[in-house]
Amino acid sequence: MNRLWQTAIRIVVSLALVGAIVFVYKSILPANSVTVALTLVLAILWIAARWGYAESIVASVVGMLGLDYFFIPPVGQLTISDPENWAALAAFLVTAVTASELSVRARRREAESIARRQEVERLYALGQTLLLSSNVHTAARDIVNSIIRTFEISGAVLFNQVTGEFYRSEGHTKISDDQLRRVAETGEPVTDSGLQTSIVPIRLGGQTTGSLGFVGSTLSSAARNALAHLVAIGIERARTIEETNQAEAARQSEVLKATLLDALAHDLKTPLTSIKGAVTHLLAKPREAEELELLTIANEEADRLNRLVVEVLEMARIEASKLHPDRARHHIADIIQATLKAQEEALQGRTIQLRLPDSLPAAEVDFEFIGQVLKQLLDNAINYSPPNAPLTISAHLEGERIVVTVADEGKGIPVDEQSKIFDKYYRGRAWREKVLGTGLGLSIAKGIVEAHGGKIWVTSAPGKGSMFSFAVPAVKSELVL
Amino acid sequence: MSAKILVVDDEPQIRRMMRATLTSSGYQVDEAKTGEEALEKLRAYQPDLILLDLNMPGMGGLEACRFMRDGSDVPIIILTVRNAEKEKVEALDAGADDYVSKPFGMQELLARIRAALRRMPGAEGGPRGFTSRDLQIDFESRRVMVRDQSVRLTPKEFELLRHLVAHGGKPVPHRELLQAVWGPDYGNETDYLRVFINHLRKKIEPDPARPKYILTEPWVGYRFALPEEP
Repeated sequence: MNRLWQTAIRIVVSLALVGAIVFVYKSILPANSVTVALTLVLAILWIAARWGYAESIVASVVGMLGLDYFFIPPVGQLTISDPENWAALAAFLVTAVTASELSVRARRREAESIARRQEVERLYALGQTLLLSSNVHTAARDIVNSIIRTFEISGAVLFNQVTGEFYRSEGHTKISDDQLRRVAETGEPVTDSGLQTSIVPIRLGGQTTGSLGFVGSTLSSAARNALAHLVAIGIERARTIEETNQAEAARQSEVLKATLLDALAHDLKTPLTSIKGAVTHLLAKPREAEELELLTIANEEADRLNRLVVEVLEMARIEASKLHPDRARHHIADIIQATLKAQEEALQGRTIQLRLPDSLPAAEVDFEFIGQVLKQLLDNAINYSPPNAPLTISAHLEGERIVVTVADEGKGIPVDEQSKIFDKYYRGRAWREKVLGTGLGLSIAKGIVEAHGGKIWVTSAPGKGSMFSFAVPAVKSELVL
Repeated sequence: MSAKILVVDDEPQIRRMMRATLTSSGYQVDEAKTGEEALEKLRAYQPDLILLDLNMPGMGGLEACRFMRDGSDVPIIILTVRNAEKEKVEALDAGADDYVSKPFGMQELLARIRAALRRMPGAEGGPRGFTSRDLQIDFESRRVMVRDQSVRLTPKEFELLRHLVAHGGKPVPHRELLQAVWGPDYGNETDYLRVFINHLRKKIEPDPARPKYILTEPWVGYRFALPEEP
């Protein structure tokens, strides 16, 4: 209604302007028809530039009629005698209309570019708001509020498909939950010009994560899509931060646990040191059989308690990701040799076959940690195979990794247990009573190998022995490609 | 006259146990509860050997060890509940001669004490020195120059280098090196050799990652490479 009135008033003003020009040239400043026509074209251009197409067309037609009636002979009549004047009048009308159109178009371009600039500024402002939110819920609420504020629209609603939640600006119900859900599912934007609503899907990396609805929107579709993308990034960012915080909190609690266990280990080992020192001192002197037996038991149990403390602590470190291998260039052969030397006593009477290719490149590993893994595999091979059965240690290059295998000729591991033996505290059914252990050794070995970015596995068939293998990265520069 | 041992530990039960066992094994024993007290006792008591705990309130064992090394050649054996390689390297770096992790068997500790008390024979026999373009070693004055810069070696590093140079060009097995430098009860502590060889390489090699003097002989030991005659 308002608009119509405005246009009507402008048309009246335009007509008055045309009338005034005609009147001035007719009664006050007599001039020829060319001057009048040029002045009228100027006025019409001004009207077009200022107001628009309708006003300038009306002014053109009325101006042409005035020119014809008052200035083109026969004056005082709407008829034209000279065909030349027909051409002049037609030229006037075409010029006026074309000029109006060009002027209107230029004005519209300007208005459009101002609107685009405004949209970009608003998107930027929104982007800044999004960067400040660090939690998914406040981020969604912030998004809705700041869309209304920065884009000056009457309502907005956000649907997060991942959490299934809706965030509406206050008191607006023009867009239903179902509509939002549908857009999120189909991924197709919907616009209702009658209700002045539009809904766009929110996408990130080709996946729809929700939808965003506007009420009273004056946004271009490009701006709507940019906005939806911005919102998608904002929500994803908030979600990532939240997840990272949770993971960090979980890790922190593991770190705390490891620190506590560290302190506990120290407190347990200190009395063990006094016990072990005292008992071994007594054991070193000539004893009666009974005393010797009892002291030996005390000594062995002190060792066992110590082993338990060490393994539990190591497991806690692995779980707290506090195991930091000090990786350097080492030859697997050196690590195997050092481990075999340290195990000399336990390996007595065993035949050990070594299969190491000469061309094996160095590995990028922590010497001590990988030595520990080898020791664990050797311990297992010794404990779980007959005393005189031979062992085989081999290594070979597989792609960019060095695979080390320790094979025994023991009873093997039942298929259903093979996946469990790397679990914490798991102990093979057949051996629980026969071999002392904590069930931590292999899970520690697994943790160490994985901290090197490698993997550990077992292949075994009952009755045919077990082959434990682990793969660790080779030094890249030594790989012959 | 029996050797004097200073036991440095903040745990009273451990000091009691050590005093009883060491005294019974024929040593004289004194105790210190902290690193600071140990430094005082080092001057006042003049021990022949120090057993040093790492984890003590106040001045820790590592710091105490460094202070002791500043003015004394007394053998130091570190006793600690931690047995990570990193801690071992730190302790050896700080100037300790040996490293025993708690809990330990008394026979093992006594063997280490005997080895540490056994004084290295002086520079009798063997080469007087070694000279090349970027490395000069003088065994008598115990001076090592690398590219005209004086380099300080710990006694164990120096012994290790001397033994390698004495067998210049020939591989020296791990066990032989360990027994020559630490003592007859050693032989399996290849990690000691690794630590000390690494130290030596860092100190004397132009490029420690690609050594040209101290070479690893896989499976055997180490070899001091004599430069090719020009």
